[in-house]
Amino acid sequence: MGKFVPANLTVGAKIRIGLLMFALVLPFFPFVTDYLLHIIILIYLYMILALGLNIVPGFNGLLDLGYVGFYGIGAYTSGLLTYHFGLSYWVIIPLAFINGAIWGILLGAPTLRLTGDYFAIVTFGFSELVVLFLTNEIWLTRGPLGLPGIDVVSIDLTLFGGPKWEFVGELPYYYLAIAMVLVTVFVMHRIQDSRLGRAWFAIRDDEVAAVSCGINLLAYKVIAFAISAAFGAVGGSFFARWVTFLSPDMFKFWESFLILCMIVLGGLGNIWGVMIGAVILVSMSEILREVLPVLGLPVEVRFLAFGLIMVLMMRYRPAGMMPIAAVAAQMRAGRKKRRRTKATVGMQK
Amino acid sequence: MFLQQLVNGLTIGGIYAMIAVGYTMIYGVIQLINFAHGEIYMLGAFFAITFISVLGLPFYAAFPLAMACCAVCGVLLDVIAYRPLRKSPRLAALITAIGMSIFLQNLAMVIWGSRPKPFPHGTLPVYFEKTAVSFGGVNLSWFHIFIYCLTIVMMVGLNLIIKKTRWGKAMRAVAQNKTMAALAGINVNRVISYTFLLAGALGGAAGIMTGAFYNKIEPTMGYIAGVKAFAAAVLGGIGSVPGAMLGGVVLGVAEAFGAGYLSSLYRDGISYAVMIAVIILIPAGLFGRVLKETKKSM
Repeated sequence: MGKFVPANLTVGAKIRIGLLMFALVLPFFPFVTDYLLHIIILIYLYMILALGLNIVPGFNGLLDLGYVGFYGIGAYTSGLLTYHFGLSYWVIIPLAFINGAIWGILLGAPTLRLTGDYFAIVTFGFSELVVLFLTNEIWLTRGPLGLPGIDVVSIDLTLFGGPKWEFVGELPYYYLAIAMVLVTVFVMHRIQDSRLGRAWFAIRDDEVAAVSCGINLLAYKVIAFAISAAFGAVGGSFFARWVTFLSPDMFKFWESFLILCMIVLGGLGNIWGVMIGAVILVSMSEILREVLPVLGLPVEVRFLAFGLIMVLMMRYRPAGMMPIAAVAAQMRAGRKKRRRTKATVGMQK
Repeated sequence: MFLQQLVNGLTIGGIYAMIAVGYTMIYGVIQLINFAHGEIYMLGAFFAITFISVLGLPFYAAFPLAMACCAVCGVLLDVIAYRPLRKSPRLAALITAIGMSIFLQNLAMVIWGSRPKPFPHGTLPVYFEKTAVSFGGVNLSWFHIFIYCLTIVMMVGLNLIIKKTRWGKAMRAVAQNKTMAALAGINVNRVISYTFLLAGALGGAAGIMTGAFYNKIEPTMGYIAGVKAFAAAVLGGIGSVPGAMLGGVVLGVAEAFGAGYLSSLYRDGISYAVMIAVIILIPAGLFGRVLKETKKSM
């Protein structure tokens, strides 16, 4: 086996390739049921969403509470275009991406001048308005009844005289989701190491210093917000074609909170950490979904655990399980300062 | 129609104002949007209903007792969740606040169940339903009057506390500059606790009144009310107590008229839209000072 792995790969790269291989053959293990496959696809979906959201709080240090708004916009873009015009999913992905980005710019351009708190609350209001719109504009979205019967994804080669292959069951979606996660991770890595990414990190670490280096704060933040929104919308477009049913309830604030929880747990700004956060929280959510009814509690109670996780993480490991050095330093800064002042006071005595 | 909407709007507005004051006071002293404040409001209603149905207390005894419990909850919230993060970046504190909000809401769901609850039959004072004043086709029940009076009394009382007492003076000092206040011999943490105490009591009172007004209490009620009250605080200028009072009333009336004349479906949307518009157009609000932080980014 060792022959096939080039010797110059680092341990980390080997682990990643191994994980990818494992993910690719996973559906063929005998213990993997359709239900389990469904949950793993859900994990992949949340990985895409969490990676998208990560750009704003993780790379830019801004709290975005309205991410689910873009997820909803993407899902309904995909659902409605399929429902009314029968567009192919491969056309819808870029359209959803663009639509998400447009809304991101529309919301971000006027509001990204604000500081963290105000920005957070504006994004929250935005996502609530999106849900209200989806619920009330019945002529467009069928409102609370939901949008059923969205076509499944298909690969249509009839134009070239080939066959038309429809995605039936979970297996094709599994590989589609893996492909989308891979593309997302690739894009995130490239952005992280680009001029754009470096500018974002500078903004996150010190806005004043960033401005003095000639970084246009507003422009870079709007770009970040738009890209983040676009990935949310792409996640939504996949969701719509995968579950083939949409209803406004699916895009409540809790979803935003859950995704935020993932990136906080995994490590703000850390691509791998964020993905692990998605794995842990989706699995935990599913386990609790099974366990809670046994204990006689409503399923919503699982958010109790998520709330507690957030509070405890912020208290004891504010930079997450896989911290990024810069974020960890920032989170520690306050405490250190306090210790230092105490020390100097002691010396003066 | 017009007058009836006005009456309803003022009632709801008074309740929003009482919650909004809590947001604004807490923001004033620790510059944190206390997302869990809406949950304190929800707990107030649940405490009241528990005291009435389990301990068998009359409404007037349960009311102050539940307020006191909410005040204690507010202080505990600060001591347990926010105090350890005082020096951390605001992102950490904000995430903690959201986490606490979600935690408390679901805790209430575990304790009291997720179904809406009414007050037990016959436990609300009988005359609440009776019409007190009737003019121009508008019926003003005693309950409306009770809410108006209570709101006014509490607002005036709060203003007196802030303006006239040593305690209020200390609060204002801490809001202006924590370090200087500490140098002047003020125990900053204790003042912050007092602020949470006051905010919790007012929030709890608002929760009980809403619960009794609609006769429906549910664990999710704090979430929307909290956001709307925050919108009211922003409208009035965050950090300004009279601003929050006015903001609450204005928002309540706007909502009643919006729901009555425009579209009742977008009732909740009106608050969000007002909030976003105010934050974008006049971030300092009606009465607020321009916060340094607001302008920092650009």
